[in-house]
Amino acid sequence: MTDVTVDQVVDHHDDHGGGHASSLGLSNMKLAFWLFLGSECLLFGALISSYLLSKTRFITEIIAGNPNVVSTMPAELIQEFQEKGSVEPMFDIPFTSLSSFVLLMSSLSMVLAHSAIVKGDQRNTRLWLGTTAMLGSIFIGGQIYEFTAFYREGLTFTNNLFGSAFFTLTGFHGIHVTGGIIMLLSLLFLSFQGKLNSSRAETVELVGLYWHFVDVVWVLIFTIVYLIP
Amino acid sequence: MSDTAISENAHDTAHDHDAHDHPQEKQYWVIFAILAVLTAVEVAWSYLGLTGPALVLPLIVMMLAKFFLVAGVFMHLYFDLKMLNGKYFTWAFAGAVVLAVIVYLVVFATFHFRFAYFG
Amino acid sequence: MAIIEGEPLALPSGTPDDRPNPLGVFARPHNATGFKDWLTTVDHKKIGIMYGAAAMFFLILGGVSALLIRIQLATPNNTFLSADAYNQVFTMHGTIMVFLVVMPIGAAFANFLMPLQVGARDVAFPRINAFSFWVFLFGGLMLNTSWFLGGGADGGWFNYAPNNGIAYSPSSGIDFWNIGLLIAGIGSLTGAINLITTVLNMRAPGMSFMKMPVFVWMTLVTQFLLLFAIPVLTVAQVLLMLDRQFDSNFFNVEQGADPLLWQHLFWIFGHPEVYLMILPAFGIVSEIIPTFSRKPIFGYPFMVFSGVAIGFMGWGVWAHHMFVSGLGPLSVSAFSVATMFIAVPTGVKILNWLATMWGGKLTLNTAMLFSIGLVTQFTIGGLSGVSHAIAPSDTQQTDTYYIVAHFHYVLFGGALFGFVAGMYFWWPKAFGYKLGEKLGKWNFWGMVIGFNLTFGPMHILGLQGMPRRMQTYDDAMGLNLWNFVASVGSFILGVATLLVLVNAYLSSRKWKAAGRPDVGPDPWDGRTIEWSIQSPAPNHNFDVDPVVTSLDDFWHRKYAEDESGKIRRVATGAQLAQPGNGEGVHLPASSYWPIVLAASFPIIGYGIMFTLWLTIPGGLLLVLGLYGWSLEPADDLDLPHDHDDHADLAGVGASHD
Repeated sequence: MTDVTVDQVVDHHDDHGGGHASSLGLSNMKLAFWLFLGSECLLFGALISSYLLSKTRFITEIIAGNPNVVSTMPAELIQEFQEKGSVEPMFDIPFTSLSSFVLLMSSLSMVLAHSAIVKGDQRNTRLWLGTTAMLGSIFIGGQIYEFTAFYREGLTFTNNLFGSAFFTLTGFHGIHVTGGIIMLLSLLFLSFQGKLNSSRAETVELVGLYWHFVDVVWVLIFTIVYLIP
Repeated sequence: MSDTAISENAHDTAHDHDAHDHPQEKQYWVIFAILAVLTAVEVAWSYLGLTGPALVLPLIVMMLAKFFLVAGVFMHLYFDLKMLNGKYFTWAFAGAVVLAVIVYLVVFATFHFRFAYFG
Repeated sequence: MAIIEGEPLALPSGTPDDRPNPLGVFARPHNATGFKDWLTTVDHKKIGIMYGAAAMFFLILGGVSALLIRIQLATPNNTFLSADAYNQVFTMHGTIMVFLVVMPIGAAFANFLMPLQVGARDVAFPRINAFSFWVFLFGGLMLNTSWFLGGGADGGWFNYAPNNGIAYSPSSGIDFWNIGLLIAGIGSLTGAINLITTVLNMRAPGMSFMKMPVFVWMTLVTQFLLLFAIPVLTVAQVLLMLDRQFDSNFFNVEQGADPLLWQHLFWIFGHPEVYLMILPAFGIVSEIIPTFSRKPIFGYPFMVFSGVAIGFMGWGVWAHHMFVSGLGPLSVSAFSVATMFIAVPTGVKILNWLATMWGGKLTLNTAMLFSIGLVTQFTIGGLSGVSHAIAPSDTQQTDTYYIVAHFHYVLFGGALFGFVAGMYFWWPKAFGYKLGEKLGKWNFWGMVIGFNLTFGPMHILGLQGMPRRMQTYDDAMGLNLWNFVASVGSFILGVATLLVLVNAYLSSRKWKAAGRPDVGPDPWDGRTIEWSIQSPAPNHNFDVDPVVTSLDDFWHRKYAEDESGKIRRVATGAQLAQPGNGEGVHLPASSYWPIVLAASFPIIGYGIMFTLWLTIPGGLLLVLGLYGWSLEPADDLDLPHDHDDHADLAGVGASHD
């Protein structure tokens, strides 16, 4: 865009998504994205709160021996819950720690993808975008494995409060990760088509923001759900 | 894309800002190492067999540390908040975090006080 | 000065796409006219008008259900409606009025007016704006198909758990309520993001935050409330959907669930919701009262900050809806005090409007009368509101007609009166002619009399102990007189409200018969920059970016002090107004994708309710919509933009006529 008149620049200067007179001096897209993420905070806050409340109610009923609740899961598991006074026996901490670590790594590869595209380094952009998508997929794979393991052990979505709340919270997060993977793959596809040059760094940055946000939510879920049961 | 031709209302440095003020790749690796260590300590802490606040408080602190590292460095929130020349939009996000924490803590408080009162 | 939407993810910046229509269907319609134009438009003014029209349609539905309620309650032991039908009618009345009337009228004003008041060509994301509207409309229509598909929702507009469960409400009414509002909520959320971005980022040069009109401020606060409140409702509704459709246990009391979870989530959303319904009306009258008092708004910074304070404090008072749910004394006291505090910024606003009128040269036309109606009736509603803030008093009043009287005074006597005032005020800017004053006066006085006859007696009924949501009452209860008065009043109110539409029709006919005379850019001697363009507002809004130097900028350009310090008119609005010449302006082109994408949601919704198979075509349409949307060139990059090609550009502009 070097050979155009001033008028045309004014016509086009918002190609970065900057709107006509960007009052704050930043792109509309980026502003909108932050607003969206702000809204997501309230969403996940409500989900986490619902989980905590439901789990607390569940444990209270288990300890009180409410027959409606006790009958929903295998007796050994219920006994373990009662002994511990928590849902901790359900979780496989080493396994979940590993998948949390995988998701943390994907955040690193995401920032590396962004700094690569800022520099115009196509090869590394593709490498790190691909890595991020792959790590995200490993995480989702781990989640699917965990869900099936729970089903086999006798915790399902429908049998009690704890099951409903756990699968809803982690499932919502999993759907967000899956959405992120789709975005990453779309970027990778564009990159191979040669349409993802450094002028589109902001797009990578925005997908990155989303990805980190999802990661941060998992940081909260990992501690709140798994480590403090 | 150069903004130079845009006249009076483009009081902005958004584009060059990306190049200068963000951390270098090396810093990302360092942050990642810290995050990894924090995660390891968290998991180890949960195996110490502690209960009550001794278990929960350090875990919460480490969780918050991780949260702020990812949000602050990887999402550039820290750098954006520090730069007040038009970057205060990220307050919308920071404000949402604060709002969500307060609102939901109040919900728990009401449940707590209800059980404390009614048993 | 094109508005190019934020580039879609798939389209590299500035790269002209070699395939202008990548998916082969739904190419950007150029020069669309008539029906097709309305379906595909991305013009914020047309979208605003469509929001208004949709809200009027739903207002009639909600109004008819209100009249059914009043017929049933006109006499004791009436059998006009069965208990079941009555439950559906009052639930749907509340739901329609809150979500499909008051909220969208607020959105209509925000969409139509806010870009004009900040001096922008359009909103930040024109296609997302169209999407927000269509998704709201489809959600609202889907909600109303429940009337034909097994009956409406019957749990009250807040559908408390566990009443909202399958066990207590086995018909699919609540599913329609739930999923319909979930879908409409998507529209509110995208709309909020869009409008906030517009206010923050697209103000005219020179318009700093403290030079924004009060309406723009109130829009900003409102949209922030929506942005953060809607996801909480979404979670509550998703949990309810999972309970009802997929057998989860969130509100299953047998499994030890705590029904207060629903109440908390609903009211965390619900209380900001009541403020986001009233704040746009506050913004509207804050524009009208100064104009017709011929004085600047009294205490502009207080006006702004009290609005912002209401926005913040609105998050800290939700549990006052739950005083009798057994929260325990500590929570009740804390929320009681917080609720009393929130009356302070509201009182500041009332005071400022009064002080604006004080000593002003008042023009008592219809718009001004409706504004004064808001100030008066909202004050009554606010005072009865403070009486609920006192928890012991609320314990007596809750779930009685006293509450019904209170929220109708703030929502109908407040918000809706403000919106009607706004219609009379900005009608010439939208359509090019004024609404008739004579019928307007009938409209106003009819509404005031009808409104107060309907809802005034409800205070008494409530204090007599008449519970809300009861389908009838006994002859011996002593409730006959005031119920009958309220029912008579409701019909006066219904007829008077319809006069808005009658007035619009008659005024339009008269205007056309007179050969469409030009109303002029500035028919009211207005204060803000939307009056500096022609009426009706041209497609491109402003020929050149207005440069704003002060609050009430347009007024300051028309008036100045002479040597003796007296304020004198130096120019008329018509002299200063931009001529409406759109040459060289490049507008975003219409698109089919917003409506296509929006159409996928109700299909998925019906699928979740009736047969999951239907979610497959719905989901496919969603994916098609998303990819079609993001692959569509964000604008007509193939069209020439420089000054030699005005003919082509005029063609694009004309497509919006």
